[in-house]
Amino acid sequence: MGFFKGLYDYRELLKTSISKDIRGKYKNSILGIFWSFLNPLLQIAVYALVFPLLMRGSTVENYTVFICCGLIPWTFFSTAISRTSFTIIENGNIVKKVYFPREILPISVVTSEAINFVISTIIIIAFVLGYGIGLSKYIIFYPIVLLVQYFLLIGISFIVSSVTVYFRDLQHFIGIALQLLFYATPIVYAPGQIPESFQWIIQYNPMTYIINAFRDIFYYQQMPDFVSLGVVLAISIALCFIGYFIFHKLQKKFAEEM
Amino acid sequence: MKKEEEYAIEVQDVYKTFDVYLDKANSLKEKMLFWKRNRKEVREVLKGINLNIKKGEAVALIGVNGSGKSTLLKLMTKIIYPNKGKIITHGKLTSLLELGAGFHADFSGRENIYFNASIFGLTKKEIDNRLEQIIEFSELKDYIDNPVRTYSSGMFMRLAFAVAINVDADILLVDEILSVGDQHFQAKCIDKMKELRNEGKTMVFVTHSLGSAKELCDRAVWLSNGVIKMDGDTNTVVERYIEETK
Repeated sequence: MGFFKGLYDYRELLKTSISKDIRGKYKNSILGIFWSFLNPLLQIAVYALVFPLLMRGSTVENYTVFICCGLIPWTFFSTAISRTSFTIIENGNIVKKVYFPREILPISVVTSEAINFVISTIIIIAFVLGYGIGLSKYIIFYPIVLLVQYFLLIGISFIVSSVTVYFRDLQHFIGIALQLLFYATPIVYAPGQIPESFQWIIQYNPMTYIINAFRDIFYYQQMPDFVSLGVVLAISIALCFIGYFIFHKLQKKFAEEM
Repeated sequence: MKKEEEYAIEVQDVYKTFDVYLDKANSLKEKMLFWKRNRKEVREVLKGINLNIKKGEAVALIGVNGSGKSTLLKLMTKIIYPNKGKIITHGKLTSLLELGAGFHADFSGRENIYFNASIFGLTKKEIDNRLEQIIEFSELKDYIDNPVRTYSSGMFMRLAFAVAINVDADILLVDEILSVGDQHFQAKCIDKMKELRNEGKTMVFVTHSLGSAKELCDRAVWLSNGVIKMDGDTNTVVERYIEETK
């Protein structure tokens, strides 16, 4: 319970760190927004050009929209994790000098990335509208899927942000792991397109179900698979508890390790 | 009914050691490759400190460099944790270990007030209420909306001190920062501290300035090599301290 009280007492810090983060990204208003949209658009363009060539035309219908629905949630996932891996070290000057609940740092990174993701969802909506797919009533489930991904990221970020203080080079390892995980998640391909012998990889990957759910909402326009999502949610919440336990143990020596 | 605690800070048999690495393996790679390399010395900084500070007391921690004063203060703040023993604090606690920690150079003075005060755990409303008071105390006037990077070091310190002192905590821990700004501002800081003391705030100072210790504190604790050497009335302790360290 001390966890929630700490967060509540320091809610202003949480709020200012999130708004500082977002304002920093969209600073100089128009140009900032322009760049933060251009980057994912270029990525989508690259994958949409390269993969149909590699797969020799055996791609799904409206492949650009298909990629877009996977890539935007993936970007949320990977940026949040790589940013939390150095958030404590980056804020070393205040960690060493002032007491505040340290978990505010990873939580504010994940939250501001979640807000960025919501803003980037405009890209997905623009694509489904532009390609004539349109929007379905299933869009009401968007907040639920977002919440599942949010909890998953909070759990991971507790572990990643605290362990990297002790092992600095883990940041590089995380970068490589995220690259591998990109291909182990059905982002540029559909789950059915990979050989039977590799299916287990995507089956054990929680991001598979989250991206599938976003695709169900926007691309296939059908009811997301709530049984799988429920399992992912349960795992994510368990991960939050385990992650917080680890974070809480390790945070006692943060000031000394830096 | 709320239980009234007699003590603001209770330090119970606290030990603190630091591992001093001569060549620290900071990465996983180094830890695996050079696992023998972690030559470390264990430095005992605090050896069994027992100290109870009553509510409303102003206590000076004195002692030569390396005697453990700052470590004790950091332990009270909960930035670091003891290896053995317990520290219990009652009431909202603010520490001024370093002024301006968490200031952002590109943001204006006003924005930094909000950011810095929120690190101390204030809500937006509480900051709004104190804003005028903080700006006035800092004497920055029109400069308050300029980016902090344009400030002189004196202006920076004044703003940082103004925020920290107006946080309205029950317990104030101060580490050797009374040398802020010019004579005029220093006198103002001392006055403000006295005012807070008279309001019944609990204060702990780490200081080498024995003059201000005498002026502000009614009790002094002399730390030497990680143990309490003497504890009592400021004048008596300071006199003995001067005599012995001469």
